[in-house]
Amino acid sequence: MRKFGMKRAIVGAAIAALAMNASAAHAASATGTAKAKILRQITLTNTSDLQYATIISGATASTVAVSTGGTRTCGGSLTCTGTATAANFDVAGTDSAVVVVGGDSSVTLNGSLGGTMTSSLTYSSATITLGATGGSFQVGGTLNVGANQASGDYSGTFNVTANYQ
Amino acid sequence: MLRFLKGLGLFTAVALGVAAAPVHAAGDLLVAPTRVILDGSRGTEVVLNNIGTEPATYRISLEIKRMTAEGGLDEIAEDEANPAERAALDMIAFSPRRVTLPPNQPQVIRVGVRVPEGTPQGEYRAHMLFRAVPDAAAAPAAAAKPAGEGVSIALTPIYGITIPVIVRVGDLGAEASIGEAWVGETPDGPAFNFDLARTGNRSVYGDIEVTRPGAAEPLLVARGIAVYPEVAKRNVSLRVPGELAAKLKGPVRIRYTEDREIGGGTIDEAERIVK
Repeated sequence: MRKFGMKRAIVGAAIAALAMNASAAHAASATGTAKAKILRQITLTNTSDLQYATIISGATASTVAVSTGGTRTCGGSLTCTGTATAANFDVAGTDSAVVVVGGDSSVTLNGSLGGTMTSSLTYSSATITLGATGGSFQVGGTLNVGANQASGDYSGTFNVTANYQ
Repeated sequence: MLRFLKGLGLFTAVALGVAAAPVHAAGDLLVAPTRVILDGSRGTEVVLNNIGTEPATYRISLEIKRMTAEGGLDEIAEDEANPAERAALDMIAFSPRRVTLPPNQPQVIRVGVRVPEGTPQGEYRAHMLFRAVPDAAAAPAAAAKPAGEGVSIALTPIYGITIPVIVRVGDLGAEASIGEAWVGETPDGPAFNFDLARTGNRSVYGDIEVTRPGAAEPLLVARGIAVYPEVAKRNVSLRVPGELAAKLKGPVRIRYTEDREIGGGTIDEAERIVK
């Protein structure tokens, strides 16, 4: 699917390039030159979410950590169920290109029945060097769960960017 | 191989996790080209493509970023922008700023520049950010939880790509020099490090090639390394596999060349003993 997307972008760019060169080509009608410009590109795809899954809070405040490798560590007074995952992002582009990874270092989550929680966020790397098949980075975090945290569905958003220098 | 195993592990985790939310990727994107340089009069075009499986609305904006001595890019709030950064935001025009695209539909973003008369010579830069607007209805389904107990967590990433848009005013020049090189440990594994210093009134940008004297095949290639004018020197830290880290130690030749698209001339070249 990603390959298809790339092809379309090149086609799109080529159409743009052709359109821009159309008048020049017309003027030089004696030489039939076809022009196409291939642009360097970058793609970013999100293949998994940062999931703490379900947590049952205890009498004391505690934390749940999900490493960038996707391993969950459940704090002492908590019960954790479900499957935890780290967020994964695939980056593709020019072979050997260095991409700077940026993003929020924390996020606030609001509960459906009131209450908030905060989570710190950790990134697997500050930069990635793309290989022939691209590269990837992961986002893990540590969630601060209050004593007897109000139950409910907590949601929040965080910003992540892949930056070319 | 490692990545494959990791991917397999991830896949297994998702497949086994009945309660896990479905993998959704509304907002995946492609941007081309990856760097824009404008000489002050002519504009250009950038292509944005929706490579996700769902229609998505993307927002395009300009951000200010400052390079750090470690080579990172710090995001700067608009009200903290200095006059040169403010001028960059004002001279770069683009359209559209918001677009809804069905899957595999490219969109051309036109980028124009207008340099006001009397603008001091120099390099003006902003970073164009492309990212999907989160769709409230498409927030990831919370993992099923027993009624009335526990908390479920849904964290939605708002993710995007930034590319630099650079406007050069006047006749500018810059040079770079390669400093010390060493192999170090980072929390994420070994990295090849070297210092890159810059002088002049514009950024330098190019590719790094590390070779062992006498060997044709480069040990390491890293493309698209910039030193922006706000820093006189930066560290370049490239994560490498353990076996490559061991190989890099000893005498090497480091070559920093201009982008292949503008000829690939050497910016600086140095022989170093990597510690």
